[in-house]
Amino acid sequence: MKFLFDFMDKNIAPLFEKGGKLERLYPLFEAGDTFTRTPAEVTPSSPHVRDSIDQKRLMVFVVYALLPCLFFGMWNAGHLFNINNNVENATSLTDMLRGATMVLPIVMVSYMVGGVWDLLFALVRRHEINEGFLVTGMLFPLVLPPTLPLWQVAIGISFGIIIGKEIFGGVGYNILNPALTGRAFLFFAYPAQISGDKVWIGSAKTPLDNNFLGTVAENVDGVTAATPLAVAAAAEQGSSAIAALGEAGFTLWNMTVGTISGCIGSTSVIAILIGMVFLLITGIASWRVMLSGIIGVVAIGALFNALPAETFSAFSQLPFYYHLVMGGFLFGIVFMATDPVSCAATNTGKWIYGFLIGGLTVVIRVANPAYPEGAMLAILFMNVMAPLVDHFVVQSHIKKRTAYARALNHA
Amino acid sequence: MAEFKIKKGFDIKVLGKPNPEIEEYAKPQLFAVYPNEFEGLKPRLKVAAGDRVKRGDILFENKKNEKMLFRSPCSGTIKAINLGARRAPIEILIEAGAQEESVTFETYTKDSVAALSREQMVDHLLNTGLWPLIKQRPFAKIANPETTPKAVFVNAASSAPFQADFSAILKGDEAAFETGLAALARLTDGKVHLCKSAGSDIPDFAGAVSHTFSGPYPSGNTSVHINRVSPIQPNDTVYTLPAQDVILVGKLLLTGELPRTKVIALGGPGIKEANRKHYRVALGASLTKLFSEALETDTKQRVISGHILWGDIVTAETCVRYYGSEFFALEEDRSRHLMGWTMPGLLQYSSHRVNLSTLLCKSKKWKLGTSLNGSHRAMVVTGWMDRHQPLNILTDFLVRSALAHDTDEMIQLGILETTPEDFALASFVDPHKTDVCKIIKQGLDEIEEEGI
Repeated sequence: MKFLFDFMDKNIAPLFEKGGKLERLYPLFEAGDTFTRTPAEVTPSSPHVRDSIDQKRLMVFVVYALLPCLFFGMWNAGHLFNINNNVENATSLTDMLRGATMVLPIVMVSYMVGGVWDLLFALVRRHEINEGFLVTGMLFPLVLPPTLPLWQVAIGISFGIIIGKEIFGGVGYNILNPALTGRAFLFFAYPAQISGDKVWIGSAKTPLDNNFLGTVAENVDGVTAATPLAVAAAAEQGSSAIAALGEAGFTLWNMTVGTISGCIGSTSVIAILIGMVFLLITGIASWRVMLSGIIGVVAIGALFNALPAETFSAFSQLPFYYHLVMGGFLFGIVFMATDPVSCAATNTGKWIYGFLIGGLTVVIRVANPAYPEGAMLAILFMNVMAPLVDHFVVQSHIKKRTAYARALNHA
Repeated sequence: MAEFKIKKGFDIKVLGKPNPEIEEYAKPQLFAVYPNEFEGLKPRLKVAAGDRVKRGDILFENKKNEKMLFRSPCSGTIKAINLGARRAPIEILIEAGAQEESVTFETYTKDSVAALSREQMVDHLLNTGLWPLIKQRPFAKIANPETTPKAVFVNAASSAPFQADFSAILKGDEAAFETGLAALARLTDGKVHLCKSAGSDIPDFAGAVSHTFSGPYPSGNTSVHINRVSPIQPNDTVYTLPAQDVILVGKLLLTGELPRTKVIALGGPGIKEANRKHYRVALGASLTKLFSEALETDTKQRVISGHILWGDIVTAETCVRYYGSEFFALEEDRSRHLMGWTMPGLLQYSSHRVNLSTLLCKSKKWKLGTSLNGSHRAMVVTGWMDRHQPLNILTDFLVRSALAHDTDEMIQLGILETTPEDFALASFVDPHKTDVCKIIKQGLDEIEEEGI
């Protein structure tokens, strides 16, 4: 090992450094070099010591937090496929493997295409590759249906990275969450492949794909399954949304465990909570955003519950706690809304930002007939509004500190 | 008399605390004065290499204010004057002579000091070369003798690893300290504030209002003291100086000669355990011998004039400086660790909870090195920079406005209350390795240039 590193330092590194033949490719070398070993750089001036945390560790830990969602999503995609396509001899293992064949290509395309864009921009701009793409590349596939065509995955992540991030100058300068920007683009550009009731569960191809993953006994023509949000939104005025959900097979319990149709990573509340606990213990994501988001859902959800039943659809009468386990809200508030770049920066701002995401999610779900999924739009809207929220918080801070200085000086 | 509890802050758990005993360090042959220690000063030399000087003879003066003089700490021969960029003198080396001759000034008592006018006091300090000990806020530069400050803040507190322990330094020099306080009282129409750390053994003095500060670093920083006692508004001026320098002023007034010695604390993981203590050293004296004994030799060490969070990098051949009462040494750490981004982090020190060591090794003292522990990345506002900032400043936004050269917003957000040192912890915790102190310094320089 040491021999290898010595060889790298002596013979490879000078090629990429200033004056070397491959100087233009330095960002690529830097990424690989600091991936294998921490850099040798020392502090240039005060303070003379630095914390051992760096951007790599920070971003990789967010990816770790996403792993429960990824693995559950893989299993669930395979599980639903096997059930709905009448696959014989399905076990948990074949569920997992089947899911992997559906989900992993999406993840790989997302990382490869996203990584190439990041590298290209880093090379042109001559700055280091930011590890932020590790998170974006994982977040994006987790909010897609498992059946999405791979070319759409590639287009979506490209749009997210370029329009959502790079045209503003890269990580740290962007206004919107890149992963969510990519998803919103697909949602409006190719609605047929990302919404409706035909996209959530894969269907077996003809001729039957009988292999070690199981035997399809009888080919079903186009598996359909609605998401809980679509079912609740479709419930008729005056009827009970809970009953409608129950008829479609959705209970509070299976929506919490996550064995239902939906986006790859966002169906299981339990997997999301594991990731959330990890983020909170390590202190990486803002608890203020998460807590205030949940408070927002509870408050606005309860407000709708309290309104007379005839004012809005039956959806408005669905008890507020259902909103927490349905759709992509919890995934969004834990992993998307807490993105430190696009989130509000002040502590007070974070409370306002989180609360409004929660509140808007419920409003969009209940009061807007067009899009049942409110969390994505609520987060993107609040991403745009976050600088405004911060502006008002900073102005009030300035007023307070001026008053404090005056009061002490005239005491 | 007031007590202040500082809640926000962070103590870096580093090895090598100097113990409070004071050892006399023998006077060496070589002395030095560093004109580049005085930031922004344009010196005009009054001596040349080979000249013989008495203790207290003029070495150079301030080109912009010719009353401001800088005098020799010893008597002997000018050995060399080393020039830096643009031929500005950066080091004046003086070889001590066999016989000591001193320039004498007028002597005072504590009571006769009180009878002096502000102008007389200012002129005396400028003339004797002790005026530059007094700095002013905003901008933390040598105090402008023309502006009368609203208050003087004397800092006897210590919270950074490792500042000299003033309660040990003060023993035996109480009279000089009191006289110094009386002199400072002449400089302001307001009060002289003496700020101490909680639990330190420093008595109250009639000439100053005492305040006690408890809590983690930076509870000992002058900016925090001023913020809690009498915050700076635009157009305010405050004078500040460390408590040990008040003793120097007092000794000058009482004896009529330049003070001879001060106490420095020597600490840090790069200093051998037996040498981690306080030393009484002659002003300007070469410390080469001390460092050759005290520095650990197994790895390359960085010597800092100051403490781990704030100080200048110096060589092991340095002499006692005009400013500062402490030296710190730590390893120049260029080691590389395999896959540092995913290791459990038991052996790395962090203030964040992303390392197991933060949860498991709460009381461990770390042998820290100078490694940057990562590479530079674009700044992302995480709110972490502000986590340990007791000054009620929105650090992230202040940094942002400094980067945008928005002087109005910087002032509104409170940059005038700060010095770059107040952002040492922000730099420390930042995962993107942003040099926050440097950004703030540029912001302050811009404001100074444009005027408030």
